Amino acid sequence: MELTLNINGRDHRLSLDPRTTLLDALRDHIGLTGSKKGCDQGQCGACTVHLEGRRVLACLTLAATVQGRPVTTVEGLAHGEALHPMQAAFITHDAFQCGYCTPGQLMSAVACVHEGHARNDDAIREYMSGNLCRCGAYPKIVAAIRDAAPQMAPKTGRV
Amino acid sequence: MADDAGRRPGGHIGQPHVRIDGRAKVTGQARYPADEPTTNPAWAYLVISAIARGRIRGMQLEAARAVPGVLDILNHANVGQEVKSPMGPDGKPTTTTLESDRVWHDGQIVAVVVADSFEAAREAAYKVVVDYEAETPSATFDSPGVQAEALKTDATHSYPLKGDAAAAFAAAPVKLDARYETPTQHHNPLELFTTTCVWDGPKLTIYEPTQSMWGLKAAVARQLGLDLVNVRTVSRFAGGGFGGKGAPTSRTAWIAVAARRVKRPVKLVPTRDQGFTIATYRAETQHHIQLGAERSGRLLALSHEGWEISSRPSSYNVSGTTTTARMYACPNIATKVSVVHADRNTPGFMRAPPDTPYMFPLECAMDELAHELGIDPIELRRINDTQTDPVDGKPYSSRSLMKCFDAAAAKFGWARRNPQPGSMRDGDWLVGYGCATSCYPSNIGPATARLSLTPQGKAAIQLAGHEIGTGAYTLMAIVVADRLGLAVEDVQVTMGDSDLPPVPGAGGSNNAASTTNVAAKACEEIRHKLALAAVQAGAGIFAGADPAGLKLADRALVGPGGRREPLATAVSRISSGAIEVHVENVPQGLAPDAAAALYQGKMSMSRGAERKDVTAFAFGAQFVEVRVHRRTCEIRAPRAVSAFAAGTIVNPLAAHSQYQGGAIWGISSALHEATEIDRRVARYVNDNIADYLIPVNADIGEMDVIFVPEEDHRVNPLGIKGIGEIGIVGMNAAVANAVFHATGRRIRKLPIRIEDLL
Ligand code: FES
Ligand code: FES
Repeated sequence: MELTLNINGRDHRLSLDPRTTLLDALRDHIGLTGSKKGCDQGQCGACTVHLEGRRVLACLTLAATVQGRPVTTVEGLAHGEALHPMQAAFITHDAFQCGYCTPGQLMSAVACVHEGHARNDDAIREYMSGNLCRCGAYPKIVAAIRDAAPQMAPKTGRV
Repeated sequence: MADDAGRRPGGHIGQPHVRIDGRAKVTGQARYPADEPTTNPAWAYLVISAIARGRIRGMQLEAARAVPGVLDILNHANVGQEVKSPMGPDGKPTTTTLESDRVWHDGQIVAVVVADSFEAAREAAYKVVVDYEAETPSATFDSPGVQAEALKTDATHSYPLKGDAAAAFAAAPVKLDARYETPTQHHNPLELFTTTCVWDGPKLTIYEPTQSMWGLKAAVARQLGLDLVNVRTVSRFAGGGFGGKGAPTSRTAWIAVAARRVKRPVKLVPTRDQGFTIATYRAETQHHIQLGAERSGRLLALSHEGWEISSRPSSYNVSGTTTTARMYACPNIATKVSVVHADRNTPGFMRAPPDTPYMFPLECAMDELAHELGIDPIELRRINDTQTDPVDGKPYSSRSLMKCFDAAAAKFGWARRNPQPGSMRDGDWLVGYGCATSCYPSNIGPATARLSLTPQGKAAIQLAGHEIGTGAYTLMAIVVADRLGLAVEDVQVTMGDSDLPPVPGAGGSNNAASTTNVAAKACEEIRHKLALAAVQAGAGIFAGADPAGLKLADRALVGPGGRREPLATAVSRISSGAIEVHVENVPQGLAPDAAAALYQGKMSMSRGAERKDVTAFAFGAQFVEVRVHRRTCEIRAPRAVSAFAAGTIVNPLAAHSQYQGGAIWGISSALHEATEIDRRVARYVNDNIADYLIPVNADIGEMDVIFVPEEDHRVNPLGIKGIGEIGIVGMNAAVANAVFHATGRRIRKLPIRIEDLL
């Protein structure tokens, strides 16, 4: 089927098998490989992106259902050379090792703050528990979110 | 300069540095193998066996072939002859896949469907019908039909014997005799086991996450009968390894064959559940420990017998008795290990392969003995601490075990522990404190690298190294910057491509020692060339000086008294452009041709437990607080403290993450992880990462890490011991010991779950 996806503020015209997930559309048809496939069944969070500003699992979202609705991926977090405060905090706190869960962690972390769930460490831990990190970067992810939250602008239309 | 300690005043080694690949990782630009752009790829989808033992009578492929977009279906009837069987993680024969009609284990690859799209390949794979001639499989220990094989000492494993352990145990005034079990575990790196193969004439490029670029290259070349020069492997980043990407697996050669047949690049992204059976895992183990001691706590006898599961054709084993026999001073030691063959896939390396399952029983037994004797568990370790290897009397290159215990105990607040089990409470929670020894052998392999330095002070180092999360790129940049007197940002590091000079696979925690020592040697070669040219020059401030007295610092050649010549001047004396060296490093004790052998894909390793001169291990002490709910028996581990002494630490920031991640693996191993097996059909049941439990963020509390300073001049020139694996080793037993302290219940089988405490 023919469809247009709006990713990081840009329209992409695609011709896809209707069964194509948003994750595969991003990775294999648009060439945005930042979002990762860790399970393809909604268990790991590595594919987390923002749909209309809210976090969703791209592997459980059919591409056809997001036509005309803005999607933000990890590639859309930074503004040019300037990293998003959450990205910078992840680097400073060494909040990753292999980095494979990181795009999903970042998208969840930004959403976690915007949702008002970054009030304290326990809340961060709870609302970040949909994103697995096999390397065990959890304590540093919590520290990074705690640090970045106050530096983030209040939520506007886009993150 | 080759034998100075790793750290220098004012240098970069030992200073925390953010990862130089951090920006790539947080912006989505880091390219994992499945992210590499591929022109017009076809997609592969695996069909795996539905039985664990038997033969394939035939396959009905019509419905699958009829799916629009299907290009090919590989199975043993049409491609069986095209590939030589792979070797297992130990380099010996293992289970096969499409080479024959034989089914060795559940989930074995039996066909590969190739189609224009991922969706079509998946649809067709589900339409492949396989007719089996099924036999009753043997799943695990105690299943009818398994075969036990007692192991003998070989190149990688030994079974230490000393004195007469049986007689000493029989005569010992205090005895501990117990059996322990550890479960099947799967690495479950977050990245899937992907493979993309691209042919260009006779040349094959493989994009696949690997911990062994040259090992994979050599394995696939052998399987396909290709010249080594015609196979290239690329893995710039791997999404976690943990040993699971250490040994080649059978999938790769078939994807290469598929790509050759359809004359297009072929890309495989297997499913999470397929990863449980197409790759390796940590086999379940059983142990029998006997400790005999004097009333004072001094050990008189240690006997450790282990059993491990493997597949039918492979005797892969980890034999951690090599480690446990060396932990404590003891005059009488007996060890023995058997492999038990079942209808299972072949296990392989998983984080601290021998030490994690074998230290668990020893460290629980030490805790049990301490309780029996009424001695503090830390003091029991102190009484039996040693600076010489108990097996053969060699000195340890360094052993800071008790320093680790003391540092961790102080930070943890061990003094607050009431030794009486079940005595500490907080409301409805029973509180327990536990500790255990951690250790890991210090291994180092031969390595090669290419290093260049420009007059402008930019360095570039290239090697076929592996970034699996350890911070390997940053490690290289720090060492080169340190030794060449540059800023870390001035060093470009290229790795993850087998077209670059070979290094050993990243396993056995050898990576830091192997690659930093070759990098330092390359830097020394450049320094030496610059110094020699400077002193031999007719003019110049160092003419006639001693070249050994000249160092590289702050973009200059610096002599005694701080006299400096700018780098640009020094370099231009030798070259109008950059100066470049290609260096090989063969660690002490390895064959002189060990570096040359790397170019054949053959790797040797100087192993810490088996060196001739010293015994080399890193040591640590791990402490954990466990809380068990009085009514529900829910088990929590809110805080842990781990102290490690592992020689020179190059980058404390990434090292902290490695240690902490390892300790989290230990908590996971003790309280969460286990692959459940349906014994009737020898099948893994919880083959996904929702049912295979690993901790989520909310499961992990405070995880303190202490670096105990240690300078080791004997382990290798830079004094580096590996740190990637030691973090997990002691935590299993520490948790079990804490559960005992909280509840008075001794659980000798992992993982410890609510139902064990009801
Ligand atoms: S890939 Fe989507 S949740 Fe794992
Ligand atoms: S950093 Fe490796 S999975 Fe999170």
